[in-house]
Amino acid sequence: MDILIQVLTTAIAPSTAAFALAAIGLNFHFGLTGLLNMGHAGFMLLGMYGFAISLREGWPIWLAVLVGLAAAALFALLLGWPTLKLRGDYLAIVTIAAAEMVRFLGRSQSLAELTGASTGIRGSDFKAPFEELSPFADSMVEIGPFAMHGTRSSSWWLTLVTWGLVGVFALVFWRLSKSPWGRVLKGIREDEDAVRSLGKNVYSYKMQALVIGGVIGALAGMLWAIGNSVQPDAMGRPTTFWIWTLLLLGGAATVFGPVLGAILFWSGLTLIKALASAFIPSDVLAPTSLEPFSLVLVGVALMFLVVFRPQGVLGNKKELAFNG
Amino acid sequence: MADTAFETVAHEPGAAKPDAILVADGVVRRFGGLTAVNVDHFEVQRNTITALIGPNGAGKSTFFNLLTGFDMAQEGSGVFNGKPLRGMPAAKVARAGMVRTFQLTKALSGMTVIENMRLGAQEQPGENLARAFAPPLWRAREREITEQAHDLLHRFKLYEKRDDYAGSLSGGQRKLLEMARALMSKPTMVMLDEPMAGVNPALTESLLDHIVELKEDGMTVLFVEHDMHMVRRISDWVVVMAEGQIIAEGPAGTVMSNPRVQDAYLGSHHDTDLFEERDA
Amino acid sequence: MLGKLDRRVLLRAVAVFLVVAVAITVALSTGGSADAATGSAASGGGSSLLLQNLFNGIVFGLLLALASVGLSLIYGTTALSNFAHGEMVTFGAMITYFLATPQAVTFPLLPFEFKINMPFLPAVLVGIAIAVFFGWVQDKMIWSQLRRRRVGMVQQMIVSIGLSLALVNFIQWWMGGRPVRLTTSIDPRHQYGPISVGNVTLISMAIAIIALIGVAFFLQRTRLGRATRAVSDNPALASASGIKVDSIIRIVWMMAAGLAALGGILLALYQQGIGFDDGTKLLMMMFAAVTLGGLGHPYGALVGSLIIGIVAEVSTVWLAPDLKFATALFILIIVLLVRPQGILGRAERVG
Repeated sequence: MDILIQVLTTAIAPSTAAFALAAIGLNFHFGLTGLLNMGHAGFMLLGMYGFAISLREGWPIWLAVLVGLAAAALFALLLGWPTLKLRGDYLAIVTIAAAEMVRFLGRSQSLAELTGASTGIRGSDFKAPFEELSPFADSMVEIGPFAMHGTRSSSWWLTLVTWGLVGVFALVFWRLSKSPWGRVLKGIREDEDAVRSLGKNVYSYKMQALVIGGVIGALAGMLWAIGNSVQPDAMGRPTTFWIWTLLLLGGAATVFGPVLGAILFWSGLTLIKALASAFIPSDVLAPTSLEPFSLVLVGVALMFLVVFRPQGVLGNKKELAFNG
Repeated sequence: MADTAFETVAHEPGAAKPDAILVADGVVRRFGGLTAVNVDHFEVQRNTITALIGPNGAGKSTFFNLLTGFDMAQEGSGVFNGKPLRGMPAAKVARAGMVRTFQLTKALSGMTVIENMRLGAQEQPGENLARAFAPPLWRAREREITEQAHDLLHRFKLYEKRDDYAGSLSGGQRKLLEMARALMSKPTMVMLDEPMAGVNPALTESLLDHIVELKEDGMTVLFVEHDMHMVRRISDWVVVMAEGQIIAEGPAGTVMSNPRVQDAYLGSHHDTDLFEERDA
Repeated sequence: MLGKLDRRVLLRAVAVFLVVAVAITVALSTGGSADAATGSAASGGGSSLLLQNLFNGIVFGLLLALASVGLSLIYGTTALSNFAHGEMVTFGAMITYFLATPQAVTFPLLPFEFKINMPFLPAVLVGIAIAVFFGWVQDKMIWSQLRRRRVGMVQQMIVSIGLSLALVNFIQWWMGGRPVRLTTSIDPRHQYGPISVGNVTLISMAIAIIALIGVAFFLQRTRLGRATRAVSDNPALASASGIKVDSIIRIVWMMAAGLAALGGILLALYQQGIGFDDGTKLLMMMFAAVTLGGLGHPYGALVGSLIIGIVAEVSTVWLAPDLKFATALFILIIVLLVRPQGILGRAERVG
């Protein structure tokens, strides 16, 4: 019973919602357009830096959000401008390299006053303006079997905002993917030369998709930071790979794939850890080994998923997002 | 089936045409040290069917890519229907009215046949990101496009397949879909890159009829082809390339007895020759 | 249809370079404590420091080359960008530690511990042999199966990402989160002019150079090596001319795994210890090196590795040491923008 509540708590947690939102962003890139963005965590990290640093400097929260989004948009333009005309795997290499660059710069001592170096930015430096907006009580609130703080950090307030935004952007994805605009992107995913031969400016469409997905990723990064803190090393390559895993798990190019994928991924991890610590004796699997053990399973799951069910849970086998 | 427009045209490389829709001058494309295309002068007569033939490696496909904006030449210029082609990207060439198909068919497999068709249409306001959010701004145009697509699908005998994924079509049906999709933009000139390659013989006749129909509808056709049977059947004019240059022009019958052409084919060490029916 | 493609790409790259450089400079000047790294270094006697860093860069570049040559050969023969190659580097060092350490060791899920405590040199040889075997197993169990099923390249790349996640976490589970040292002996240092260098480093360099020459000899002078290059150039043609492409690829995987393991062992000696994710961190540098030199070009990996190594180490003369990888990646991005095919790569013919 405890395990069930633990799993359900993870399923509705704000961090899970933040990952769902990040995956919606990646879905614009990969699911809709076929762009191999291997540096999504870099967009998230830039978003949270822009947001947290602006707030720490005392700027209003709406401006802080805008700064975070603008940073990601600029990053997308800068990366896409030279690479979107080259072969697809160049975007993969450049995005992963650029995302790692952002992280190396963020954790560098040389920028310590701006970014807090490898320790990052503490929650208390930037969370207050968001928490002040909370309509919930400033104490622990129990709703059904779930107990969370009303306002602070990973709170009911943040839960409401994150899942609300997941809903909004799932709707945006649905509207756009079913529009003629989305049709052009799907065409590019299938074969960009064909779309070019039909008179569409492929470069411009890819750029639009890259910016939109990146900006949604940045928003997800901000929400994640409110629930945790700004931590450059939490936004390394593994994070990008997790987002890929959960997007493929739920089903790329589908509206609810990212949401379902995020819930399955994180509650699945919680379930594995809980079951392992309950049933495997600790001299066989030490508590410190639980994390790597469950991530080994994630890696293996990703391998099997992409080979045997690349369309994920919700996807359509005929509309596969894999080409070449 | 000679066209009267060619009565006054000389049977020589780079011959001037009375009403040229497409003109190219001094086009040079090099890859490293290799000159793939070196065409002094080239004209295509409006509302005719012109074939571009030549042995493998003659530079036909590269020349095709250069004309349609899919590749860039180091030197040269071109004019299509009064518009200079210099530096024009492929999408713009297509919007100007010159639409192409590909040797290896590019049906968009992960989309349905009808979505493939709709994608071919121009001037859909919903393809703009901001307007995509507001369906009332693009629904009307979408209905027009769908009607046009249905007409074309009937004509190309693909109507029953409209909701199937393009990936499930046969090779020949994909060729048909690609041609039909190109017509969605109501082009003035259609460029077909080996329209017969990989097509089941049962479909060949109807494909030929469709190409002849394009001319009857007022369009100009330029096609690259290995299948000499097809070249003889439908082309008004034949242009022969070898080693990147145009070596002969003329009606199908005369051009094939030209000694330079025969030399080019026999001299090129490969298995295609003029009298072979099909080249895989 | 006449294009100034090259110049446009160049302009773009220069513009990106300027924007990023200005952004970093502004950030550094407002970010404060930059003098911690730059000031002291610059005042500490310019040219000798430069020489020392140049030397360190060559050493790092040689070790990096051992790892990236395999990555490049795999890309060349199979077109796979193998994200799990970094773990092969860690694995080589870890298995050697596992064999040689006098401490008690175990495997995950085994409820007891045991000691192997082999002498160091045999441990290295057995470690490399195990890594080669692992390369064979990997290709046999995973990659050749995927090739046979005609699984797309993007999918295969994601499979390698999954494998990388699984392996790096397995190694952490197995060896724990703290770095381990292969030897505990103290390394005497020598001073050659302005350059100070340890014995172990000199030996590592010699081994790396010998191994790289061995690879070059294999590729140039042996039948198998020529067949490998043929597969790299054009798999279809190689197959048509009677080369058994699948066996060649199997050998390439074994070689790549062995070279990566050797690189990992030497790296562990050079930096006096290896952590469970050191190879994973190195992967970005390997990709940078391979792409920089020309994807799939075996000598490109060598050239690229040396450039990356030198850029990373020499940049510490002016920039903070924790920015050296960022600098190397930055150079990669810029080179890619100007010359996407890499330094030694050929421009692809389109159409």
